[in-house]
Amino acid sequence: MLTPEQIKEELKEHVINLRFHARGGQGGVTASNLCVEAFYGYGVCQPLFGAERMGSPTESYVRLSANDDLVRSNEQVYAPHAVAVLDPSLLGEIDVTAGLAPGGWLIVNTVMDQKTIQDIVGRKDINIATIDALNIAMEIFGRNITNTIILGALIRVAPIFSMDALADAIMRRFKGEIAGKNVAAIKRAYEETCIYETPNAPAIDFTKDTKVPWQQVFPGLPGYKELDKAGVWYCDEDVIEIGSKQVITGSWGEWDMIWDEEKCTDCAQCWYICPDFAIIREKGEDGLWHMKGIDQSHCKSCQNCLEICPVEAISKRLKQGPAACAAPE
Amino acid sequence: MCRSGIGEVKRMSIEPMRIFFKEIKEPIETTMIGNYAVAGGVTQTDPDVICAFPITPQTQSVEGLSDVVHHGRLKAAFVNVESELAAMSFSTAACAAGARAFTATASQGYLLMTEALPMAVGWRLPLTMMLSARAFNSPNLSIWNSWEYTQTNSELGWNIIVSENVQETYDAAIISVMISEDSLFPTIFVHDGFIISHSVQNLTLIPDERVRRMTPKKPRHTIDPSKPGTWGGIVTPSYFMEGRAQLEEAKQLVLGQMVDVFKKFKAETGRDYNLIETYNLDNSSKTAFCTMGSVCGNIISWMTKNKDIGLIKIRAFRPFPYEELRKIVEEHNIEKLILLEKSDSLNGMLPPFSMSVASALYPLGTLFRSFIVGLGGRDVTRDEFGVMKKKMEAVKDMKGQLYQYLGVRETKEKIYGVD
Repeated sequence: MLTPEQIKEELKEHVINLRFHARGGQGGVTASNLCVEAFYGYGVCQPLFGAERMGSPTESYVRLSANDDLVRSNEQVYAPHAVAVLDPSLLGEIDVTAGLAPGGWLIVNTVMDQKTIQDIVGRKDINIATIDALNIAMEIFGRNITNTIILGALIRVAPIFSMDALADAIMRRFKGEIAGKNVAAIKRAYEETCIYETPNAPAIDFTKDTKVPWQQVFPGLPGYKELDKAGVWYCDEDVIEIGSKQVITGSWGEWDMIWDEEKCTDCAQCWYICPDFAIIREKGEDGLWHMKGIDQSHCKSCQNCLEICPVEAISKRLKQGPAACAAPE
Repeated sequence: MCRSGIGEVKRMSIEPMRIFFKEIKEPIETTMIGNYAVAGGVTQTDPDVICAFPITPQTQSVEGLSDVVHHGRLKAAFVNVESELAAMSFSTAACAAGARAFTATASQGYLLMTEALPMAVGWRLPLTMMLSARAFNSPNLSIWNSWEYTQTNSELGWNIIVSENVQETYDAAIISVMISEDSLFPTIFVHDGFIISHSVQNLTLIPDERVRRMTPKKPRHTIDPSKPGTWGGIVTPSYFMEGRAQLEEAKQLVLGQMVDVFKKFKAETGRDYNLIETYNLDNSSKTAFCTMGSVCGNIISWMTKNKDIGLIKIRAFRPFPYEELRKIVEEHNIEKLILLEKSDSLNGMLPPFSMSVASALYPLGTLFRSFIVGLGGRDVTRDEFGVMKKKMEAVKDMKGQLYQYLGVRETKEKIYGVD
């Protein structure tokens, strides 16, 4: 545990960077905010700027230091020393260890073992900690809220502030019974964290900047000289690798939509109402459009089609696999 | 208002705004996003009329205000309108009737307001507006931060002050009311969209009593049915120019009035603001960055490891403090300035902020180059600062193109202007 004196001494010239990966609605920003409040020193917390939606992958950053000037920067965090992942389904979807300093910690809410996680993220120079936060949350809160719980695991492996300071911050933030439950949850998480230190992993070198130069400029995407006419693009061209086609909204929802070919009358009401063009249809030899199925990689289970279908040709089924716990309550 | 069940009205509340529901008696240290901090600051200045139209990234500021009005903490008329043009027209009229009015906007909303913007200046109305700086939609729609607001409307006569972080934008909400009512010119306070509007940062709240002391209500305008009159009636060429000259003469006093406001604010809160703030100007390379807004924070962090360079941070963008800037550059013998701005101009001359600085520097002949960075929310990092510093070392004269983009892809493999 770093004492206030140690923080003053050791973090005079350095910054501790943290990154939280969550899904919209899971409270990743609240978790990072609590870090700032619990830390004895200066800190800022930033979300990854954008339009957040329920279930979409989100990131938030924390920057902590004993030097006010060092946390004055509004840059995003590119080289975190610890990364916390609130939702295990994000491991396969996002490069959660991007820029993570060698010797840094990856903390995941999961029941997977070290080998499985290492295989997914493909890094051997970092340490891993896991916590079955879902289980603790269901027992203590009765629902899937894991954002405070992961902080218990965070301070177990990266003691940047004390359990007491964190409990204080939680008591200030939440009121009454909820506050007490949150404190109980982080204390249990602290005890139950599984720690997998990688043998021969280097110690974190705070003087080293692990940011990839110019990564904020997204090298690899077409440059301005390679764009035909910026601002205008056509649906049948695949020139510009941005836009909603590239956002796999299918991972946001908790339901799979099931289409029943027998019942479908090709009335196309679902096709008109779908906000993500996830209803697939084709022109048949008779010159008419026929429904062909549902694009699961873009269907975010808003269920508009289910509601509008006049013949009940669309039904829903809970998603299987890790994404099943993707959607918050 | 949210209805749950039949006949039952449930009072919704935005968690961070609760701190403003009660009288704030002592300075409180808390953490908040920029937009809610502004909503809190505006609440403390006790406006009579709040009228705005929501637009990302400004939305939570007005949302927070609707919350305090709904809970009865603020006795203000909260007026919903159908557009930004209506919001500006309504706020202008409210001010003309003697009310303290607040509005807020961003990007395209600011453009839609344009038609109604000159009136508040011409009629000397102390209107206050928050602007969350966001890109204009060209060639693509972007909700992220850019300074296109400097390209348009900035010469209409509104005062414009720019904030670096959440504390400054909270303070600016109060300072702007003071500036507006002392100068009788409307004031816009700007923060960078998302970077400040949506970041959670520490800030210290000012006790209500002190805010009341700083912003006493002294309405200068009234509408009195027993004394009818016309606002902005038509004049022939025999009068119009006199009206403009009168405005210009009054505008000359504004920078001085701003300085007085900053002094008054310091006496109450201890926080020291100025038209221009400087950092480490007496450095070995006689070079300084010159910019405004949130990117100053990035530079200050970077400067902790690069001590041979300084920073000039402009707070008052309009009126532009050209004499003060000239004095600073002369006093510290600055030879080279690196101008940063999040706007371009597409006309082959300098972009707007650099143009203002260049006009101020004209008699001195100080060497400068302008760098266009961070458009549409792109991050400005240590990579850019390092390259700018290196490029500036090679600058020996003012020949050739004076501005360039930095942090943009030329091709898939090449970053423009970086070897």
